[in-house]
Amino acid sequence: MNKTLFWREMRGSLGLLVIFGGVLTLYILMIAGMYDKETQQALGQFYDMMPQLMAAVGMTGEGGTLLSFLSTYLYGMLLLAFPMVYAILRARGLVARYVEKGSMYALCAAPVSRLSLAGTQLAVLFSTQLGLLLYCTALEIVSCQVLFPGELDIKGLLCLNGGLLCLHLCLGAFCFLVSCLGEGSRYTALMAGVPTLMLVMQMLANLGGKLEKFRYLTLFSLFQPEKLMAGEGMLPAGMLLLLAVLFSALALWGFCHRDLYI
Amino acid sequence: MIKVTDLTRDYGENRGVFGLRFQVQPGEPFGLLGPNGAGKTTLIRHLMGFLRPQKGQCTIFGLDCWKDRKQVQRMVGYIPGEMSLMEGMRGEDYLDFLDRYRGFTGEGYRRLLLDRFPVDLNTPIHKMSKGTKQKLGIIAAFSHKPEVLILDEPTSGLDPLMQKEFVDFIGEEGKKGRVILLSSHIFEEVQRTCRRVGILRQGKLLTQDTVQEMEEKHSRRYVLQVEKGDAQAFARDFGGTILEDGRVEVKKTADLEEIFLRCYRKGEKE
Repeated sequence: MNKTLFWREMRGSLGLLVIFGGVLTLYILMIAGMYDKETQQALGQFYDMMPQLMAAVGMTGEGGTLLSFLSTYLYGMLLLAFPMVYAILRARGLVARYVEKGSMYALCAAPVSRLSLAGTQLAVLFSTQLGLLLYCTALEIVSCQVLFPGELDIKGLLCLNGGLLCLHLCLGAFCFLVSCLGEGSRYTALMAGVPTLMLVMQMLANLGGKLEKFRYLTLFSLFQPEKLMAGEGMLPAGMLLLLAVLFSALALWGFCHRDLYI
Repeated sequence: MIKVTDLTRDYGENRGVFGLRFQVQPGEPFGLLGPNGAGKTTLIRHLMGFLRPQKGQCTIFGLDCWKDRKQVQRMVGYIPGEMSLMEGMRGEDYLDFLDRYRGFTGEGYRRLLLDRFPVDLNTPIHKMSKGTKQKLGIIAAFSHKPEVLILDEPTSGLDPLMQKEFVDFIGEEGKKGRVILLSSHIFEEVQRTCRRVGILRQGKLLTQDTVQEMEEKHSRRYVLQVEKGDAQAFARDFGGTILEDGRVEVKKTADLEEIFLRCYRKGEKE
């Protein structure tokens, strides 16, 4: 790993992290603040009126405890989509964009191996993804402790966010793989399209019925909040982590062996 | 030294490079001439380890440009055909970043280069003009005192004064025994900086020789009969050689542009 490049890219990630952190802060505080019996009843009424629509965005109306309330309204869509978009943008910015613009020449025309170069960029992506989710976790704990002291199952939340981290590392590694293999509109479409399509499939699968079959076509179904909160669901999370390792290894191998038109 | 052996990269439709074979010795700057699409940049990308040869091999001081690219890069200073710098930094930050990234700590050429190619290093890169970015790219490429210079149209975007300064700089580096490969469209630049020249057409090397030999080969000789008593004056005025019986031989040396066009047309016919 090249420390100089790592810290430059970490600084370069700050802008996006602030934007995504800001948006997630707004949602986390808003949703944590919504936890009270009256709103739960209102949301319950929404769920009764439009169960399919609510289920599509991951809101299953099973929010009994504070943690399951958060899981229903944050982990069904918001904490899946926003960090995913961050991973897409950053993965593209760390490799494909440099190659597209040609400025990758300065990084490649130096006595730094391509493995070290790509490994550093991957470390930046994973570190910032970890940072974003750590921030969300801390914010959830602090806001819940302030608003509803003692009501949050912190251990359950940590398990839940551990699983979420595995999911996002897997998505990040996939985006990084595409970023390392090529650039241009086709690769950008693949990088952004596949995770988005998988999220849409997850939403369709949540509708139930015949559409539930989509569950087998999306990585998001390996993130199982109910099981994670109960301290289970480690196997699917482990599978996500394994896939992240596989995608990362392929990305590094691909970058080391590809032709660069820079 | 740079050694290219049977290098082939076929993109289809006669594009790429085909069976290239040449060497560049230290202190003998080598100029590559060819129109757009002749394969100059493809060749240079192979030397930089950016592309893997389909056939053949490129080596720099015995190291394979693809397999040993990390070691090769330690010796190389590179200017790409299209200068694109990493943005979000000031000029000085960019040079500092590259030095640290390369792990270069010695006393480099930066100060000397800044005197010759002045750049306001406090300006953010995205605000720099094309020429200023080119100068910054030149400083970045040479500040670690590379042994091998690989230059792809290095003066593009520079004003005539800076072009002259660059040509002088390359001439000085050549005299120091550096290995220099320069690709260019500017005949004068190649003529002034390079000792040997190769002409590329559709990925094939049409000819390669020293500039002097090329000029000699493509020169035309005329023998003129001048009036009695005028031979000496004529020979003096037109740089000719006096022969017997009032005849004078004059030679018209072809310049690089003429040689290039002649080789190129011959290649077209073939």
